[in-house]
Amino acid sequence: MTINAKMYDGKSSKEHSVAIEITQNGRFKIASHGIDLALEDVTISSRLGDTPRLIHLPDGTRCKSEENDTIDRALSHFSLQSPLVHKLERSWKFALGALAVIVITITLSLTVGADFTAKMLAKNLPQNSLDSASRNTLKMLDKHYLHKSNLSNEKKAKILHLFQKLTDGEKRYKLHFRSSPAMGANAFALPNGDIVLIDSLVYLDKDPNLYGILGVLAHEKGHVVYKHGLQGLIKGAIVATVIGYATGDLSFITTALPTMLLTSKYSREFETQADSYAKMQLHKMGISTKPLANLFLNIENFANKKSKGKSSENRFPWLASHPITSKRVAYFNNE
Amino acid sequence: MQTESLEDSKNSFKSFVFKADTKEYFKIWIVNIALSILTLGIYSAWAKVRTNRYLYASCYLNGSNFEYNAKPKRILYGRIIVVTLYALFLLFSDYLAMYAVAGAIIVLFLLLLPWLIRQAISFKLKSTSYRNIPFRFSAKTRSFYWLVTLAIILIASIPLTLAVLAKFMPGFAAFLAFFAYIFLFTILLPAIYRRYKLLVINNAWYGDTPFRFVATKRDVIGVFMKMGLLTFAISIALGIIASVIIGYLSAMGYTKASNTILASNVLLPYLTLFFGTITYLFIIGLFKGISDAFLSNLGRNFTKIKDGSFKGTIHPLRLGFISATNALLILLSLGMLYPWAKIRYLRYKLENTHFACSDYESFSSSGYESRNALGEETLDFFDIEIGF
Repeated sequence: MTINAKMYDGKSSKEHSVAIEITQNGRFKIASHGIDLALEDVTISSRLGDTPRLIHLPDGTRCKSEENDTIDRALSHFSLQSPLVHKLERSWKFALGALAVIVITITLSLTVGADFTAKMLAKNLPQNSLDSASRNTLKMLDKHYLHKSNLSNEKKAKILHLFQKLTDGEKRYKLHFRSSPAMGANAFALPNGDIVLIDSLVYLDKDPNLYGILGVLAHEKGHVVYKHGLQGLIKGAIVATVIGYATGDLSFITTALPTMLLTSKYSREFETQADSYAKMQLHKMGISTKPLANLFLNIENFANKKSKGKSSENRFPWLASHPITSKRVAYFNNE
Repeated sequence: MQTESLEDSKNSFKSFVFKADTKEYFKIWIVNIALSILTLGIYSAWAKVRTNRYLYASCYLNGSNFEYNAKPKRILYGRIIVVTLYALFLLFSDYLAMYAVAGAIIVLFLLLLPWLIRQAISFKLKSTSYRNIPFRFSAKTRSFYWLVTLAIILIASIPLTLAVLAKFMPGFAAFLAFFAYIFLFTILLPAIYRRYKLLVINNAWYGDTPFRFVATKRDVIGVFMKMGLLTFAISIALGIIASVIIGYLSAMGYTKASNTILASNVLLPYLTLFFGTITYLFIIGLFKGISDAFLSNLGRNFTKIKDGSFKGTIHPLRLGFISATNALLILLSLGMLYPWAKIRYLRYKLENTHFACSDYESFSSSGYESRNALGEETLDFFDIEIGF
C-alpha cells in the first residue's frame, strides 16, 4: 500500500513530498530517493490522537504522515505494533472508566486507605519511633513558647499524685508543668508520652480535687496510647500526597481547603477516641466525670467573657481543635 | 517603493496555528492519569511524553508541526531521584525532626539550583525538533552560577546598604529607601532579566543556527514599566472593588447574618477559606496571565534567527482574563476542565505569536544530542517556571 508523507533528512530543514510503498513481503520503499528497507528496521511512533505519525529511518531521516489509518492497517497486517494505548485514549467509554478509577482511588485512599495504612503502620512501628522527634519538639517549644510554671508546689504535688495513679507508675509518661501566654489554657501530649500542662488550664478547674485536670490528663494519655500523633502524621502525608497529585498543576492554595477539611475530620475522630478513653479511665479509677464537664464549661465561659464577639480560637486552642463543647459536656455529664 | 517593501515584510509574518482538539486531549489526559495511578506513578513518565508529544504535534508553523522527542525512561529516572530526595527531606524534617540534615538537603538543593535550571532549559530544547532539526543549548553551567551570584549581590546590596545607613543617618536612609526601591524595580530587575534572556536565547540553537536576543536595556525597562503600571492600576481598582463590597456587606448584612448559620462558628471558617481561595486564585491567575503576556511578547519581539524574526501580539488583559477564569473553572469543575483550560491558554498565546523568514528550508543540523532529565524533573516537581 502507498502512504503519502513528508520527508526530512535531518541534515537540512528541506521538506520532500514522498510516496512510501509498503510491499506485500514487508519492505519499506521510497522509490524517488532509492530507499528500500525491511519494515522492522523502521520505527513508527505510536499513534496519538490524529496527530501526524513520525517514521524514523535508521539513518536519522524522518517521514511524517497524516494517514494514520493506513499506517495502522499496515502495522497490524505485519503484527508490528498494537495500538493499545491509543485504543484506550480514543474511546469515551475508557475515558469514563478512567474517571471512575480516579474518583474511586482518591476516595478510597482518603478514607479506608488512610485509616488502614495509619493504623497498620502505627501498630507495627516501634513505640519509640517518634521519641527523638518528640524530644526535639519539646526543646523547640521550651525555647520559644513555654516558660516555667507558676503553680504552687502544693498544687503540683496534688496533680502529680493524680497523674501517678492514672499512669500506674509507667515510666514512659512524664508530666511537665509550664506556663505560656502564647498558648492560653492548653494541654497536649507528645507521642513519646511527654504530657505538657499549661498553668492557665489548671486555674480554670474549680474542682477541689482537681478531677477536671485529671480528666484532661487521661484524655491526653489516650492520644499516646492510641498513637494518634503517629497516625496523624501518616494520614497527613497521605492526604498531602493524594491531593497534591490530584490537583497536579494547581498551586498550593487550592489544596489548602480539602486538606484542612480532611485533617480536621481526622483530628476530631482522634479527639472523640481520646474522650472515650478518658471516660473509661475515670470510671476505672472510680472518679466522676462531672468535674471534667465543668472544666469544659469554665473554659468556654472564660473564653466568651475574655473576647466578646471575637473568635475564641486563638486563645483557647485546646477547645478549637476539639469537637463541639456542648456535645462533650453532655458526654461527660452522662456517666 | 518603500511602503511596498514594508507591506512585503508584513505579509511574510505567519502565525503559529494550534490544532489541538479539546475532546481528544481530554481523553488522552484522563487515561494517562488513570494509568499513572494504576501503575503507582511509573506510567507518569510515559504520560508526560504523550501529553507533550500531543501538544507539540498540534502546534504548526508554516504548515509543519513540532516534534517532542524526550525518552520516557530518562524522565522516569529523573522523577525517581527527585521524589527520593524529597521523601528523604520530609523524613528528616517532619518525622525525625533532624533539622540539621533537612537544612543540609535544602542548602544542597539551592546550591544545585543554577545547574538544574540550565539542565532543564537544555532538556526542553534538545527534546524539541521542527522539520527533523533539533533545538540545542550551549550555555556554560558557569555562566548560570555567575548570573545568579551577580543577581543576589545586586539585589541584596540595596536593603543591606539601607540598613547600614539607617544606623548612622536614619532620616537620610528613609528618604533614600524610596528611590532605592524604585531603582530596584525599574532598572535593576529589568537589567538582570535581560541578562537572563541573553544567556538563554543567545545560547539556543535551531540545528546549526543560533538565536539572537536583541533587546536593549531601554527596551526591557520600557516593558517592565508598562507591566508595573498596569499591575499597579489593577491593584488599585481591585482594592476599591474589595472595599466597596466589604463596606456594603458590613453595612447591610453583618448584623442580620450574626443570627444565621453563616455566623455559627462551624461553617464560617470554611466559607471564608472557600471564597478567599476563589478570590486569591482569580487575582493570582490575572497577574500571572498579565506578566506572561508582557514577558512573552518581550521575548518574541526581540528574538531573531538568521534573517527571521518573531512577533508577539498577546494582549495582557486578555491573557490575564483567560488565565484568571481558567483557574476558577478548573477549581469549580474539580479539575475536569483542566484540559480545556490548558488548550484555551496555549491557543491564544500561539495564535498571537508570529514568525517571518525568507526561507524555511535553509536551516542545517548536525544531529540529535543525548539529554538528561534530572533538571527538568526537579523544576517540574517544585513548579519552578524557567520562563522560556
